[in-house]
Amino acid sequence: MARDRTTSEDYARPLKRLLLGLLVLCLIAVFLVWRVDSPRVERFRAQVVDTVVPSFDWAMAPVTATVNLARDFRSYQRIHEQNRELRRELQQMRSWKEAALQLEQENARLRDLNNLALDPQLTHVTGVVMADSGSPFRQSVLLNVGAHDGIVDGWAAMDGLGIVGRISGVGETVSRVILLTDSSSRIPAVIQPSGQRAMVVGDNSAAPLLDFVENAEAVRPGDRLVSSGDGGVFPPGFLIGQVAEDPQGRLRVRLAADYTRLEFLRVLRHHGTPVIEGPGALILPQDLAGAQAEVPGDG
Amino acid sequence: MAEAQGAALWLGRATFVALGVAVIFFALLPLDTGVPRWAPPDLLLALCLAWSARRPDLVPALSIAAVALLADLLYQRPPGLFAALTLLGCTYLKSRARSLRDAGFWVEWATAAGVTLAIAVSYRAGLALVAVPQPPLGLFLVQAMTTVAAYPAVVVASRLFFGLRRSGASDPAGARPGA
Repeated sequence: MARDRTTSEDYARPLKRLLLGLLVLCLIAVFLVWRVDSPRVERFRAQVVDTVVPSFDWAMAPVTATVNLARDFRSYQRIHEQNRELRRELQQMRSWKEAALQLEQENARLRDLNNLALDPQLTHVTGVVMADSGSPFRQSVLLNVGAHDGIVDGWAAMDGLGIVGRISGVGETVSRVILLTDSSSRIPAVIQPSGQRAMVVGDNSAAPLLDFVENAEAVRPGDRLVSSGDGGVFPPGFLIGQVAEDPQGRLRVRLAADYTRLEFLRVLRHHGTPVIEGPGALILPQDLAGAQAEVPGDG
Repeated sequence: MAEAQGAALWLGRATFVALGVAVIFFALLPLDTGVPRWAPPDLLLALCLAWSARRPDLVPALSIAAVALLADLLYQRPPGLFAALTLLGCTYLKSRARSLRDAGFWVEWATAAGVTLAIAVSYRAGLALVAVPQPPLGLFLVQAMTTVAAYPAVVVASRLFFGLRRSGASDPAGARPGA
């Protein structure tokens, strides 16, 4: 038997070497192809995710629920403390609710006076978070809605309060949401009271950086940050978070969405903002409009 | 007897692939979608290294490559590079398995740590070579270190739950998993 093993190893060893070399070459070839033709390989990746993750789903949901249950059970230990905190918060909320109700009524009256129609195109698809990125270097989640449900790359995803991220990578039944905290996320935004434009730049930390602020002196911590809709990336006017300042004095964003527990996300159907090109004929007379178009940058 | 050995061999190989898929599965669970403050260990790498160093016959190159490529695709890493490096690192450990067995656990752990660091360094070098944006250095080093720290735990767990024992000199046929 020992002799058998040595003779079979004599043949097996070069074959194994060859197989190993081929495998390594194949893997490196995959990497190089990804570098050269990224969209094709990313589409392949989306297909793999589309087949693999839903087949995990039957086990994923119960396991996640069980772990969360155990965590919740641990938090029962401080239930008394929490109860007191909640009561106090509820008291504050009641006063806010009163104010909100009054404002809502006032808003409704004013809308009625203005005969204003809210954008009817802005509807949403709700998806359940199936999986996260699985790696500490990437911040993304997988939703259980995909091309089948009409999801398109680039749409915004939000939880109940604020924007969470954008769709990037759509499979037949799943789609990936790149969160605002991912280091490849860049979102144009407007800082509310001052009207300054800025970019929300994810850097793999819980509070993304606020970059390209026109006039940083006009921005204060606590200012509201909403999406600007520049470049047709997102529908304008959705809450992102609040401006905060870190110990180094850089401006950051405290996100409004609750990132620690993402369960259900809304994907906003957005069909692009119509672009206004040139002055309309109603606003200017025909001959004047022609003269203005010849002198761009005037006035 | 040869048949029984063959069956146990394939059972061990299947166990390795199933374990790899299970590790990926647990990493993908959306338990904490917030940004982590520290990087958890790359359990899959630790698993591949531990099994390569202890039972090279149970981890053929093909299953390492398949599991590592699947992880690359699902973890949103650049596909292929980390898998190729994992395969090379495991092959190195497999070729050293015989001498590691005689040298004791500390040497084995140190060798595995060296391989982990070498993989981390060459991964960053490979990404830099083709100008791909890299993960933050600090977090990356923390992950390499936690992976090294998790190595003994992976060895103990493999031994306790899956009966992974080194094929020692006193036992020429090698203890079979589940035996």
